[in-house]
Amino acid sequence: MQAANRRKTFGLLAGMGLLTGLVVYAALTYFGSSTVGIVPIAVGIALIGVWGSYYGSDKLVITMTGARQIQESDNPKLFGLIQEVCIASGLPVPKVAIVDDPAPNAFATGRNQDHALIAFTTGILDVMDRDELQGVIAHEMSHVANRDTLVSAVAATTAGAIAILSDILTRMMWFGGGRRERDSNSNPLAIALSLLILVLAPIAAVLLKSAISRKRESLADATAVAFTRNPAGLRSALEVLAKDSTVVQQRSTSVAHIWIESPLDGTSVSKLFSTHPPIQERIAALRAMESLS
Amino acid sequence: MKTIIALAVVALIVLFFVAQYNRLIRLNVGVDEAWAQIEVQLKRRSDLIPNLVETVKGYAAHEKTTLDAVISARAKATTASTVADVAAADGMMTQALRGLLAVAEAYPDLKASSNFLSLQEELSTTENKVAFARQFYNDNVRSLNTAVKTVPTNVFAGMAKVSVREFYEVEDAQSRQAPNVKF
Repeated sequence: MQAANRRKTFGLLAGMGLLTGLVVYAALTYFGSSTVGIVPIAVGIALIGVWGSYYGSDKLVITMTGARQIQESDNPKLFGLIQEVCIASGLPVPKVAIVDDPAPNAFATGRNQDHALIAFTTGILDVMDRDELQGVIAHEMSHVANRDTLVSAVAATTAGAIAILSDILTRMMWFGGGRRERDSNSNPLAIALSLLILVLAPIAAVLLKSAISRKRESLADATAVAFTRNPAGLRSALEVLAKDSTVVQQRSTSVAHIWIESPLDGTSVSKLFSTHPPIQERIAALRAMESLS
Repeated sequence: MKTIIALAVVALIVLFFVAQYNRLIRLNVGVDEAWAQIEVQLKRRSDLIPNLVETVKGYAAHEKTTLDAVISARAKATTASTVADVAAADGMMTQALRGLLAVAEAYPDLKASSNFLSLQEELSTTENKVAFARQFYNDNVRSLNTAVKTVPTNVFAGMAKVSVREFYEVEDAQSRQAPNVKF
């Protein structure tokens, strides 16, 4: 289960690389070699944007979600549960934060295990019992163990670079630049194909990014069970989340992927663009693990 | 040219040896750390006992056998040193505490007291921590033992003075019971 999810993530990241390659190829065929300089610029812009938010993710997300950090004395029971999972996983105890929101949800962030932060809404602490909360914590700590902040940063960088690149290139088309060079390809089929790639690449990049996020969620569920050896806890927690119809107040898509349950309205976002696998599928996967043990 | 290739090959072999040796040492240290975690958590649990016994005594002083079982389990635990002894004492303690909590069910006043409630929460989190520390220790021992017994790391086990370590096995009557199979 864990190995399969890791393999799929790797395949999807490779797909991202391939897509970048395709866009570069399309740019070269359509505009000729003078556009080569744009590629490092696009990647550079995307890198600066994403790298900053990756490096300071623990602090940035706190401001974006309005979470406030708490100490052990503020909630000894929650810290007890977190310490349990840390012992089970061999990870250091992360920073803990609370988001004042009645909708039950939780997330993990931070560039590595020493800068990890996990946050819970007040809602999730109210509705969940010990085992369920332990499952949720194990899921969040799995994101830390699997370095998912890094994975999503890499995915976001590539998707960002592709978006910037195709944006610049389509603008160049509008302003009639480009196709005057001698060394550009004159094969009409290649030109049509390049155009298609340039138009579709940003959409494909977002699709791949969402697919990676979904795989990381499934992986975190599987890793969580490896930590606690108790699929029933997380399964029951997901059932609570599935039954609950309230969603977290801020629906910013930029931080949607970090929550345990997608804060975006499931009906308005199609499955392909979703950052999370359908919750019923996750519950079914955990049920299958329960019947194995 | 030939000497360069020969040097490169030698360097690669040395690097390979170093990697295997370090892997074994790392696994062995991992087991030591996991063991230290078990001891920390057992100590924590042990420290909770006097307070717990006092609290229960206040409401149910005549449950002497159950209380004595807890106290004697605690005494045993403090003297244990080998993995097997510690595990046996740990199992006894888990049993005794389970008995004590079962007895407490019959005393509504005790169950309602805030002191008991916070002790109960602390006890259940510590019990979980002990269980996870055991699990983590056994996982580490499993990795180490596999490395000590399999090629190529087994060749370096003697040199690194690393050998097979003992699993932490708790005698627990409840987990020994055969599972109920219903069709």
